[in-house]
Amino acid sequence: MNKKEEILDLANKYRWEIGENFHDAIIESIYKEANEISLVAVTKDKEKPKFDWDRTLDKLVTSRTFGLPLMLLMLAVVFWITIQGANIPSGLLANLLVDYLHPLIRTAFINLSIPMWITGLVVDGAYLAMAWVIAVMLPPMAIFFPLFTLLEDFGYLPRVAFNLDNIYRRVGAHGKQALTMSMGFGCNAAGIIATRIIDSPRERLIAIITNNFSLCNGRWPTQILIATIFIGGAVPAYLAGIVSAAAVVFIAVLGIFFSLVVSWGLSKTVLKGEASSFTLELPPYRPPRFLQTLYTSLIDRTLFVLWRAVVFAVPAGMVIWMVANITYNDISIAEYFINWVDPFALLIGLNGVIILAYVIAIPANEIVIPTVLMLTVLVSGMSGGSGAGVMFELDSVNDTAMILHNGGWSLLTGINLMLFSLLHNPCSTTIYTIYKETKSIKWTLISTFLPIAMGIIICFITAQIYWLIF
Amino acid sequence: MRERNRKSDKIIIEDALKHIYDFEHKKLDSTSDSLAGNLQIRKRASSDLIDKLLQLKLITKFQEKISLTENGRSYALKVIRIHRLYERYLADKTSVHENDWHKEAEKREHDFNDEEINRLAASLGNPLLDPHGDPIPDALGKMHVKEGILLSDAEVGCVYEITHIEDEPKETYAQIVAQKLFPGAKLKILNKDDRRISFESDNDESILAPVLAANITVIPREEEAGEFGVNRLLSSLNQGETSRIKEISKAIRGLQRRRLLDFGFIPGTEIKANLVGLGGDPVAYEVRGTVVALRKNISQHIYIE
Repeated sequence: MNKKEEILDLANKYRWEIGENFHDAIIESIYKEANEISLVAVTKDKEKPKFDWDRTLDKLVTSRTFGLPLMLLMLAVVFWITIQGANIPSGLLANLLVDYLHPLIRTAFINLSIPMWITGLVVDGAYLAMAWVIAVMLPPMAIFFPLFTLLEDFGYLPRVAFNLDNIYRRVGAHGKQALTMSMGFGCNAAGIIATRIIDSPRERLIAIITNNFSLCNGRWPTQILIATIFIGGAVPAYLAGIVSAAAVVFIAVLGIFFSLVVSWGLSKTVLKGEASSFTLELPPYRPPRFLQTLYTSLIDRTLFVLWRAVVFAVPAGMVIWMVANITYNDISIAEYFINWVDPFALLIGLNGVIILAYVIAIPANEIVIPTVLMLTVLVSGMSGGSGAGVMFELDSVNDTAMILHNGGWSLLTGINLMLFSLLHNPCSTTIYTIYKETKSIKWTLISTFLPIAMGIIICFITAQIYWLIF
Repeated sequence: MRERNRKSDKIIIEDALKHIYDFEHKKLDSTSDSLAGNLQIRKRASSDLIDKLLQLKLITKFQEKISLTENGRSYALKVIRIHRLYERYLADKTSVHENDWHKEAEKREHDFNDEEINRLAASLGNPLLDPHGDPIPDALGKMHVKEGILLSDAEVGCVYEITHIEDEPKETYAQIVAQKLFPGAKLKILNKDDRRISFESDNDESILAPVLAANITVIPREEEAGEFGVNRLLSSLNQGETSRIKEISKAIRGLQRRRLLDFGFIPGTEIKANLVGLGGDPVAYEVRGTVVALRKNISQHIYIE
């Protein structure tokens, strides 16, 4: 035996002497010593506190009667503040970046005699996509994330996970997935980063793959607009408001339902063998640290996600401009694609414009509707809009409705667009985030294509049922 | 196509060596016929295989009886080392069900080279035993011999600890697993006759047929006879009630065990059931000043006083 083998042999002999349980023994001895030290060094107030706030609060927020209603109320308040509060700054930003600065920069480019195609590519494509993403994304995130982080800091969110764990256990997931899912209502990329709080590998992957089923902030406006035009338009005027609101809520609830079903399916199939553990710490309540929360949620979450979105929006804006402006035989690439994909798209109750919009507006769900409008005007040769490749939105819902109706949209197109908006691939920011968090191409691909496949199937079934009835 | 349908030479040779080693270990004589039966190949193929093994100087043959050479034995031990380490990996680092450990390891045991397997061993903390309680041969090809008796030979009234459960055949193993028996579990023999052995284990009372009991190896644990009894489980602690942790069952392994130890779930720790979740699961326990919620499938593997 050489020297190395002798040492290895000795090591093995000692391993057998120590036995299999030494990991447990080491931790036990660490705790024992820590205990002895603390007995000598730490003095405790002998007097017991008269009133234990934490336990009383815990009893309330996890109680059978108040637990769930309290949770729904809290979430409703957070969403209400976000939507209401974001309206005004979003409008201001859109005014500044899209309505005011965009023409200004455009004129400047033209005055400098820069070739038209560069102006189009840079100003109408790249700049406009970036401006749109910032205007629509920044305000809601800057409100939602701090509010959410405050609840987290206060210690309430782990109690929500505790309350809902019963449901998530049944589908093979972790109670904390309730939190990452709620975070996903703000932004899926942020929701996926938030899955770091789930320390069990299998349950974390489940939470990552299913986060896309939370209807994110970028998709709410699409849902509301389309529901108002098509669902609200299909019922008597006095019911329009309530019915279209109910339709949007239905889609969001459908998303939660799908996230649970898919969690269950994943835990029973592809993720069956991944390591899994469960512990859920309920930390003591503490007064939230406002300034720190504001800082970390703005820097770590809002700006971080926004930056990633902008990075993807710039090239996508160029692509959007190019497909509408590069022509062959006087027909743009966009039209070729739309005509080619139309037969299939109509079969699942959508149309070629929608499919193309979802392909080229991959960086952010926020620019899907502006892209759809631009493409519809381009394809149908209607007047209106701001020119080929220039995304736009109209202030008036009626004008938007007119463009879409002229583009051949029916109630079915509206319903299926709402379904497809819920069930399609995550935006590129989210896909990139999934890759960064899982470091796995396999899980990234599954997260990307599973929702598309589901969307196509569900839209197809809906279309068949619709044609049976109407 | 033919290549793909046929197992590669390497796999067949390794499986053959494992079989011969196993028979030598059980003090049985392996022959061309036993090899054919074990590997499910035709007799012709079996004698070809033996010729090849002879050529490679991995075995010797005396009349019908085959024996491993020094090289053959060390090769067999290497394959066994990979198999058992991989089972340990599946038990500690994945959620693969214990009924599938053996099958998975059979598939993967041919895929590792020396360096990879030593790295796997190191990442698992150089474990000594596989999850069934079989010793894992070390990197030098030495295997520890474990003592113990078969459960079928155990004496009434005595306390034992399970050290090993034979994982083949699969059906037998699944039956034992279904009784919630695992290496490290302690049990006391209550009654024994020709048809059944009844005993109480840490968490339950069970009955096994002697045929099944012969697949379980135990060692006496007389020093614990005094306090032995069916343990109270943490999951039975009522809300507001306080007790002390006695032990985390060996059924909790790997990541989950480490999480519990990190939170201070160690023997002697005071524990109080604090909050019961909706539907009775999970339950939040107060341990060392922190509140940690556990699901029932975990709390029923923690013994309390």
